[in-house]
Amino acid sequence: MPPRIPTSSASSSQALLLNQFSELVISPRLSASSSHHNGLITATANSTFQTHNNSQRQRSSLSKRQFSTTPPRQRLTRQRKQFWQWLETSGAVMRDATQPMNYVKAVGARDTSEDSRDMPFPLNPEFRSQSVLSDEAREIIWKSVVEEGQPIKVVSARYSVDMRRVAAVLRMKAIEKRWKAEGKPLAIPYAKAVQKMLPITQLGQVPHEPINDVHVHSYTMQQVFYPTSESREFTRGDAAKAFGKHIMPVDHKIRIPELINLEKQLAAGVDRNVAEEDFTKAALESEQKLKEREANRVRELEEAKTKVDTGRFEFRIENVNVEELVGRDGRSRKAVGWRYGVPFNDRKKGMVKIPTKVE
Amino acid sequence: MKLRRIARFHGLKRPRVRQTWNKYNLYNLARMRVPFLNNKTFFQQKWWAKAITRGYHGEHIKERKWERMFSRRLISAVDMDPAYLAKHDGSELASGRGSGATTAPKAERKGRGEKKAVAAITPYMQMIYAPMERRLDQAVFRALFASSARQARQFCVHGAVKVNGVKMKYPGYLLNPGDLFQVDIEKVMYATGMKKEHITEAPVEEAEEAASEPAAPKEIDAAADEAAKHNETAKHHDKMKSLKQLRKQAENALKAASSDLSAKRKIALRAMMKDVKTTWAKVAGPGSNPQGPEQIAEQLTKLLSELDITPAADKYKDAPKEEQPAEMGTKEAVEIEQGGGLQTKQERAILKRLIQEELENPHDPSKPYATPWQPRPYMSAFAFIPRYLEVNQNICAAVYLRHPVARQGLAEVPTPFPSGINQLAFNWYLRRG
Repeated sequence: MPPRIPTSSASSSQALLLNQFSELVISPRLSASSSHHNGLITATANSTFQTHNNSQRQRSSLSKRQFSTTPPRQRLTRQRKQFWQWLETSGAVMRDATQPMNYVKAVGARDTSEDSRDMPFPLNPEFRSQSVLSDEAREIIWKSVVEEGQPIKVVSARYSVDMRRVAAVLRMKAIEKRWKAEGKPLAIPYAKAVQKMLPITQLGQVPHEPINDVHVHSYTMQQVFYPTSESREFTRGDAAKAFGKHIMPVDHKIRIPELINLEKQLAAGVDRNVAEEDFTKAALESEQKLKEREANRVRELEEAKTKVDTGRFEFRIENVNVEELVGRDGRSRKAVGWRYGVPFNDRKKGMVKIPTKVE
Repeated sequence: MKLRRIARFHGLKRPRVRQTWNKYNLYNLARMRVPFLNNKTFFQQKWWAKAITRGYHGEHIKERKWERMFSRRLISAVDMDPAYLAKHDGSELASGRGSGATTAPKAERKGRGEKKAVAAITPYMQMIYAPMERRLDQAVFRALFASSARQARQFCVHGAVKVNGVKMKYPGYLLNPGDLFQVDIEKVMYATGMKKEHITEAPVEEAEEAASEPAAPKEIDAAADEAAKHNETAKHHDKMKSLKQLRKQAENALKAASSDLSAKRKIALRAMMKDVKTTWAKVAGPGSNPQGPEQIAEQLTKLLSELDITPAADKYKDAPKEEQPAEMGTKEAVEIEQGGGLQTKQERAILKRLIQEELENPHDPSKPYATPWQPRPYMSAFAFIPRYLEVNQNICAAVYLRHPVARQGLAEVPTPFPSGINQLAFNWYLRRG
């Protein structure tokens, strides 16, 4: 509640009263300290009697709130009282981060087991505060990919960190390093405080997260009656075909399919070092392939353009199919300019103009 | 869009759990119960569930807008173990079925990386508000860059949020997997830091403590100056002025060097030490960093070698350094310098660490939050980062890796409500979905 300032006629008399009976004012909050109590009274005195002895010094130290001349409410509601009581007993440990995962327990809960420690919401056991990568872990990932030149798939598999996360760590680490080099300020105290509050993965000792997640396709959520002969070996590939023509078997859908070969080799009794070397080679190859594919795509796009260099300008001419560009109804977002017979809705009320992607 | 104002946002009488780090909210979260709903009609149950869940999930977003975002397709993921895939081709699940086998062979798989599954089911019903988590303002809040969803929204609107390096002023921007968003560091520090007025009282107490004893007038001046300095803004006193002040304080300390090191003297010295650090922090400001901690340590040594105060210096020498809190550390450093003058490597290391800390987290009255920066109270009770985000706190940036998914026993959408309530809410939206 903002401080309320009474009307001018009432203020002086009220302040006087408050000054006179300053000893009688009782702070209603259970937690209110004596300094707060004093502050209220001296502030009142200062605001009305400017000639007060050491008003300057004390005034500078007081917040605006304490200038309020409104007397505090004398009575707490029952609920408010219970709130303050809770805040001073079981809620007191919540105030500062004394340990990671300092989460609230339900009022009156007897369950202090380790199982509910990572539950930020007491009623929802299906949401857990899962561990995050520490600053050191990010540095390790950066080193192994950028400095040692290991493929992302290998780093992901070794530390059991999702490939997308590895990529994100590298992206942000690059920004961080650039900022450091530029002398830009970082939020280091904030970062340290947050890392103290969260559970941290010990990288390399425990797996951080599942790395071979497969999205559950809605086609695979139905039951299919598919008659087949008893003698047939009905594999995952066959099952995928039975669900739909475009459904891929899990072996191809997982993020690091090279790991299957690694496991097969290990099961066949191949030496671990040899198998891992093969895995690294395969991972490197797939990464190269991806890079090549991307480079080809960009090159083809460039080649499709006709370039005319006039010395001063280079004109780049592209073949465009208008029907494809403006869409079936002529209103595609990609379309440029005004088209005959199509209302131009750019400035119309209620049209959503939030971009759908940023590149 | 004009935001809806809510009269009792954190009311205790009709409590609603909100997306904030407020202490009232914490209390409401702690005492939340699922009421007895069996005497209500199904419609009433759904209505109540919708109301209470929407009170948390994007209450600042209009209902019509959310209805358009709602999707009945809830996404989930399954972790596939490559060892299992290498060993079996899937045919083992059907083998022998025609020859009398009735149950599938027991799968010998363990979850990879997951601690435990609470229940064997996949909690799809906890995923209703997954589309909401895609919004930029929600993601900023989930990444712990703002203390409430409304504040996160304000950050977007005020242009403090960038997506892939481009300023994004729409809080309703739906993040795509792989999008990197950054929030202005100062805004984050302000949102998550302690309020300013909490700390300004501390030096005044010191000043009053000193003032209550009439013996040392110079100390009063020094302490009062210090107190006044805390309340001014940095704009008003430039480098020269603070350096002058510093010199004056050093002179004061030197004059009284022969007398005993009393508590008052310690206070004055501590204040001076703080000032020294502040000044150097300013000189070696965050933008240009001409002086490393080594040079500053040297300069400090030179300055403080003039102080030759022997008593009470040995007290902290033998104590283990890590156990001392930061403030004690400062005092300790002062006293060690007084005694030995930073002779040993260890002492120099301590001072270096202290200066490093000061450089990282300086006292700066010009900031809108209390400095040195501290997390705001009750932040830790709300601090978690869901797995669909990867956050780098140093640069206040995060990547939206993928959409939140449900797994066996775990749902990634942070919701304070149990499955039953969310299921009722889901049914409400199915009706109009």
